[in-house]
Amino acid sequence: MSQAVLLVVAQTMVLLALSPFIVGLIRKVKARLQCRRGASVFQPYADLAKLFKKQPVVSTTTSWIFTATPYILFASTLAAGLLVPVFVSQTPLNFAGNIIALVYLLALGTFFLMLAGLDAGSAFGGMGSSREAIVASLTEPAAILSIFAIALTTGSTNLSTIVHKTALLQGIDTAPSPHLMALAALFIVTIAETGRVPVDNPATHLELTMIHEAMILEYSGRYLALVEWASGIRLLVFLTLIVNVFAPWGIATTLTPVAFGVGLGVYILKVAGMAVLIGVIESMFAKLRLFRVTDLLGVAFILALLGVLFFYILRG
Amino acid sequence: MADAQTAISQLNEAFGNAIVGVSDLHGTPVLRLGVKDLPVVAHYIHTHPGLRGALSLLWAVDHRPREARYELCYLFTLSECRDWLLLCTDLQGDDRLFHSITPHIHAAKWYEREIRDMFGLIPQGHPDLRRLVRHEHWPKGTHPLKKDFRWDTVLEQAQGEYAFRRIEGEGVFEVPVGPIHAGIIESGHFRFSVAGEPIMQLEVHHFWKHRGVEKLFEQLRLTDAVPLAERVSGDTTIGHSLAYCQAVETLLGIHVPPRAHYLRSLFLELERLHNHLGDVGAICNDTAYVLAHAHCGRMKERILQLNDQLAGSRFLRGVICVGGVSLNLTDHQVAQVTAELNAIETDFSELERILFANASLTDRLETTGVLNERAAWDHAAIGVVGRASGMDRDIRRDRPFAAYEELQPKIALYRYGDVRARMRVRMDEIHESARLIRDIRARMPQGPALAEPSGAPKPGEWALSAVEGWRGEILYMVMAGEQGQIHRCKVRDPSFVNWPAIQWAVLGNIIPDFPLINKSFNLSYAGNDL
Repeated sequence: MSQAVLLVVAQTMVLLALSPFIVGLIRKVKARLQCRRGASVFQPYADLAKLFKKQPVVSTTTSWIFTATPYILFASTLAAGLLVPVFVSQTPLNFAGNIIALVYLLALGTFFLMLAGLDAGSAFGGMGSSREAIVASLTEPAAILSIFAIALTTGSTNLSTIVHKTALLQGIDTAPSPHLMALAALFIVTIAETGRVPVDNPATHLELTMIHEAMILEYSGRYLALVEWASGIRLLVFLTLIVNVFAPWGIATTLTPVAFGVGLGVYILKVAGMAVLIGVIESMFAKLRLFRVTDLLGVAFILALLGVLFFYILRG
Repeated sequence: MADAQTAISQLNEAFGNAIVGVSDLHGTPVLRLGVKDLPVVAHYIHTHPGLRGALSLLWAVDHRPREARYELCYLFTLSECRDWLLLCTDLQGDDRLFHSITPHIHAAKWYEREIRDMFGLIPQGHPDLRRLVRHEHWPKGTHPLKKDFRWDTVLEQAQGEYAFRRIEGEGVFEVPVGPIHAGIIESGHFRFSVAGEPIMQLEVHHFWKHRGVEKLFEQLRLTDAVPLAERVSGDTTIGHSLAYCQAVETLLGIHVPPRAHYLRSLFLELERLHNHLGDVGAICNDTAYVLAHAHCGRMKERILQLNDQLAGSRFLRGVICVGGVSLNLTDHQVAQVTAELNAIETDFSELERILFANASLTDRLETTGVLNERAAWDHAAIGVVGRASGMDRDIRRDRPFAAYEELQPKIALYRYGDVRARMRVRMDEIHESARLIRDIRARMPQGPALAEPSGAPKPGEWALSAVEGWRGEILYMVMAGEQGQIHRCKVRDPSFVNWPAIQWAVLGNIIPDFPLINKSFNLSYAGNDL
């Protein structure tokens, strides 16, 4: 029992502490690729600290949804983070839910964020919400289906089991094609769900082009800090999902201090690698036209579907 | 091919009775007409296949206190020969009505609304008589360019609301954007009517930055107003000051030394270079392709620093002056400029290859924000925007000023009228500007770069001047008043012409593409609002 509590605390700390670093690292990579020096990778920590100190300004036309959303978003995202094995193959909330719970916990945050975007009644918030609704409704099936492809190969929808089995190469009796298909699909989903180029541009100041940023335009002070931090965690959760489901090797499969240390070190290296990859991709591509985003997400869905089909075909 | 003289005889034949007089203004034929006859003649010039005159400028002058009359002048550029043709008419005494030409010539729309606001003259038959420059908080009857309006009048606050064009229906929403924007953008208001994401209508509501520039000119002496002209639009220092100086030099009869002509061309091309480099980067930035933005920003900065080194001003303030240039560069400095530009051009060519090879970027730029040839013609679109839509007009070739008669610039021309075409025009012009500056270095004669101002114009004498700035043609009309004062100075930045055109270019595009389209036009707010 105490071990489980310890694990919850440890994983929460890791997610909270590491997510601003990942955001900072992506920005740094982009800056370096543009021949700029760029801000320090620790800048997001300073931003958060500053925002928490500032007084939030709330429009008088908003309802309780607007002020409650940052907390709901933050809590649901963090809870989702606890359903994913991070550096230990056992998840703290193992008993509480599986991959489906994860997807819908994240969707809960998105849902409230869309409501909050509409709540203030500004033109940009509404546009952001309507666009987010398109993106979210299309990423969801692709996300679930890609995880199902993996779940089929390991025989469980529980992420902990999936990761544990994959790490020890137990019960993997098929060729890696379903995995590769699902990986590609999940990567596209990650880009879309976390609002990165080519789906959304987190660095833009142009309200008319925004998706995620348009919904949170009205936020300030500690509310903004919570929303920003939550989107950092969300990014980290998706990266974790990718690295641990598809390449879990190095993760602690036993509960010893040495395995913990190795697991944590390997995990940070892996997600940092993913962050660098995202930074490079963001520098290579222009943003898609809004209505082309649906095509991209369609591709993700088809890839995931192929992953599922391949499983049955290859199994004979 | 019909030059202005054959056009005159053609018009004489068709409208012999209507033409009150024909005169000549520094080589431009001037036709004087009655108020009633003007719209018919203007329509004929605009539509007749042999003439196809595009409205280039429309302005009014209050001749008080010398004479109790208002004068309206219509400047046409004939498409075939690219000559100018001027129509003038008078409103005598208390007459405040004139006949609108907007029903036939769309490009006159904003000009006539502007005249109505600034002079209180009413264009009869104009389809849209809402206020343009005078926002609703200006009290009724405020017409600042009338001579009986003091420049330092403090206005009272009035109430009122601008009536936007409305589209109503199920699922149609209005999206107001501005006048306060995120980022470093000037103030302008855009009102979209959208059905979902596609834009059904855009109305541009500007003139938030109206500073009364034309009225301020009237408070200055002819030789003192260059700093004001430099500040009409901060990014077009050379373009505006050069256009102003040329007009004043014509009035004062100054002959600018040949070396100054070359140096003026050199500075104008430097201004074009840094702005175009910035624009190419900014267009890419709006598609979230930040890499190109960073590199273009670097190259632009090199030119700005070069400017600073040469003139002590990154935007070349104080370089152009009446009679020539205040800065006679040494041959060594010119060599330095060309060496720097060669390095930047090599750099830019490499970036160009990267841009053309990037399919995701091309996908965003092609077919976005198309201003077709017909719409461009109807709006008399000019400059980069016009040349991307097949309008083959460039003052540097059509009415050579400074050293362009000898330099013979090549004109970049595209027909698709989309964002990519506008970017291509800029890219081609970057190479052409670099070539021109190399050419300037090879050809530049020795000698002084400044002629002393001499002579004094008679009150009421006036001159026109045109410069192809980096955005497009900048026009100035300067009229002398008593004792070397300016009686009237009409400033026309190309933005004033191209802003209405953007309302057409966005139709059918989706809202998230608007910033990209807007950036590809990159029009000045300050130069438009005056």
